[in-house]
Amino acid sequence: MPSFTLHLNGKRFPVDADPEMPLLWALRDLLGLTGTKYGCGMGVCGACTVHEDGVAVRSCQIPLSASAGKEYVSIEGLSSDGSHPCQKAWVEEDVSQCGYCQVGMVMQAAAFLRHKPNPSAEEVDAEMSDHICRCGTYQRMRKAILRAASEGRKA
Amino acid sequence: MKTSRRSFIKVSAAFGGGLALWLEMPRTILAAGPTAFEPNAYIRITPDNVVQLWITRSEMGQGVRTTLPMMLIEELEADWSQVQYQQALPGGRFKGIRLRTSGSGSTVGTYNALRKAGATAREMLVAAAAQRWNADPSSCRAERGTVVHAATGRKLSYGELAVEAAGQPVPANPALKDRKDFRVIGKPTKRTDGAAIVKGEAIYGIDVRVPGMLYAVLARCPVLGGKLAKFDAGAALAVPGVRRVVPVSRGIATGVAVVADHTWAAIKGREALKVEWDRGPNADFSSDQFLLQMREEIGKEKDGYFVRDDGDATKALQAATQKLEATYEFPFQAHAPLETMNCVADARKDSCEIWAPTQCPEVALAETAKMLGLPEESVKVHITLLGGGFGRRLFADYVPEAVEISSTIGKPVQVLWTRDDDMRYGFFHPSDVEHVVGGLGEQGHPMVWRQRSIGSNLSMFGLPSDERKKDPRLYFNDGSPWGSFDNPYNFPHLKADFIALNSPVPTGPWRAVEYPVTVFARESFLDEMAHAAGEDPLDFRLKLLQPGDVLQVGTSMIDRSRLIRVLEVAAEKADWRRPLRQTSDRRWGRGLGCNVYSEDCFIAQVAEVSVGRQANDIRVHRIVCAVDCGVVVNPNGLEGQAESGITWGLSATLHGKIDFRNGAAVQENFLDFEVIRMPEAPEIETHVVLTEHAPGGFGETAVPPVAPAVANAIFAATGKRVRSLPITPEKLRHLPQV
Repeated sequence: MPSFTLHLNGKRFPVDADPEMPLLWALRDLLGLTGTKYGCGMGVCGACTVHEDGVAVRSCQIPLSASAGKEYVSIEGLSSDGSHPCQKAWVEEDVSQCGYCQVGMVMQAAAFLRHKPNPSAEEVDAEMSDHICRCGTYQRMRKAILRAASEGRKA
Repeated sequence: MKTSRRSFIKVSAAFGGGLALWLEMPRTILAAGPTAFEPNAYIRITPDNVVQLWITRSEMGQGVRTTLPMMLIEELEADWSQVQYQQALPGGRFKGIRLRTSGSGSTVGTYNALRKAGATAREMLVAAAAQRWNADPSSCRAERGTVVHAATGRKLSYGELAVEAAGQPVPANPALKDRKDFRVIGKPTKRTDGAAIVKGEAIYGIDVRVPGMLYAVLARCPVLGGKLAKFDAGAALAVPGVRRVVPVSRGIATGVAVVADHTWAAIKGREALKVEWDRGPNADFSSDQFLLQMREEIGKEKDGYFVRDDGDATKALQAATQKLEATYEFPFQAHAPLETMNCVADARKDSCEIWAPTQCPEVALAETAKMLGLPEESVKVHITLLGGGFGRRLFADYVPEAVEISSTIGKPVQVLWTRDDDMRYGFFHPSDVEHVVGGLGEQGHPMVWRQRSIGSNLSMFGLPSDERKKDPRLYFNDGSPWGSFDNPYNFPHLKADFIALNSPVPTGPWRAVEYPVTVFARESFLDEMAHAAGEDPLDFRLKLLQPGDVLQVGTSMIDRSRLIRVLEVAAEKADWRRPLRQTSDRRWGRGLGCNVYSEDCFIAQVAEVSVGRQANDIRVHRIVCAVDCGVVVNPNGLEGQAESGITWGLSATLHGKIDFRNGAAVQENFLDFEVIRMPEAPEIETHVVLTEHAPGGFGETAVPPVAPAVANAIFAATGKRVRSLPITPEKLRHLPQV
């Protein structure tokens, strides 16, 4: 079994696995990091979103063979205590219902705001359009992202 | 310690009838006297001043881990900071207490019991303090986790009183707080688990990890009701990480399980597996054909089961000056919760442990025990968070699958349904056809309404028994078409019936169950009648709800004045009386829909929609919603459920459907089963009409009015009436010029 070194959340993890194994399953089943969720397996729902070199990507679409030399951050590495502005804004706006999609949403929004600290509501909508929330929390999510952006500007 | 063993047993006995008090307490503690105060199954207060509350419903986004503690804390007068909660599990302590989570009933079904449980504990704590102080209990009061003696300024925490409280007599009828004294109920409260969720720490079924656990996915016969003929495990077993390949005979879609060290190997193993299927009797089934069959059957001159027969509809239709009729169609729908079905089972020789995201833990427990031939006490079911329920998880079919595999391989196993499994198998919302005939009298006065429903909508409940058929009041409980049966409008002649026409598609409750179909037809057709009568659709409805009395239908009492009020509020907030702007590129319109959910929840919605003049693309800009569901426990939660239900309804209105061809579901993932995403999500405004009535359930209530409100708005904008869901731009081709 080939071995890989995964650069994740500021640490290095040796992983022996099929090079085709998507990062999602390596995180969940090999490293025990279950914060990243499985939703569709084909990159169309956003539940498995992580950061690759600071950009939001779908971990179900990244084979381990493509992970070499990249720095990944999963929800477990976004903040140690839930203090990321997006996490705080999400709690403040009481966004989550079943909550299953929210980690992916938070990861997308966190990467987005780093590149676009002052987005319009329309830009937020466009950025989040690859994600699905079956509970329909979009309205509060939009507010939370704009709130996080506004808090970020104050900070 | 003042508590004697005798008084302690008295506490137990008083609650022994209904609740499972102390049954789980170890004998040693029973002999020594209590170390904690547990006046009932829901509450435990320990001397270290921790208040532990049990949540007796599954959390699937409706907020029960917040709302249920709110009701307990209100009466208990506990302080949020001292409260811990945990999930109640079936059996043992909660034997005989309902944990099933369905029918928008989490608040309705617990409101009285939890308040009484809290009040009981509070009175016993006050009594314990009064005894310690040698004071009159009426001079003491409970306040934020303490009992206070105002006259002397003395104060004791619940922790300090716990052991003595356990020795107090149990009040038979503890005094419940007056509504005006509520400090928790009615106050907007944020989710107790909001932070855990966004840190990725919340544990759903899919996140359960048990030592030695293997991972499984199943190859399932693509055809509904098909079976495994034979399989060759060789190629699958050659995939690195695959451990076992075993047939599975339990569940809704049986087949072969590939069991591996991790999910990916199981998925790869399934791809490699060679299977032959016995496609069974449904290999020719097509949902298009089934729709044609329903259309044909519904037009036949025969009566179905009458669920309502007021006046003489047949005669009134003959006498009507104007007669209208229309047929509405609703496709099969998937639940498609974002967390697919899954279960972890650890079946051993004489016990079994289950971890499942389930709305029906009692069923999961009973079925597992029966299947393994174990006493129920030997089965433990852990309820995880649910990544969406929506009715799908009222079926425990994925539990026996996992139990069977674990039992076969002798190891704990997690079964995961991949997204295509979840989309193509399960229990779908039935496809239905509704036929409505209406008659107007002189001056366009609405006289008669005739609604017939056809479809497999009854397969989840079964048809009424012969005995119950004699008493139409009981039909409601047998699953007759809600929304048609409990039509709230005051037609002098009203007839409603249903014809059961089953298909091979397994069906089950989907958010709001039968209302989405019947209410789409009812509220659309009312709009058609209003236009035929030359009346404003709001005024037409208000007139039909006069004199605002209480309608008794079956076992339901429907207060029409409450429906009138929410219609008025929604219309006012949506500027119904003021014309909507038109633009050069889009046609704009407003539409109205309303409903009474299960007699206790009243809702009206106004949708503001525009349709592109060129592409016929549909945009729903805004939905204004007014609701009266009596006492609101958590206004934050209620608004969230309005937003959620409306978005759910909108997905089905504009996108959702499952087609079946050659006996198999066509749609496989979110590419071909589209749902509303953020750019399409409308602005949703929720206005609550607060009343003194007991709480009504709101988890599903917001779904049914969405489709008719949008369809009526599209009609207002374009003059085109769409009578089948989903409403796609293709259905708006060849628009009339307006």
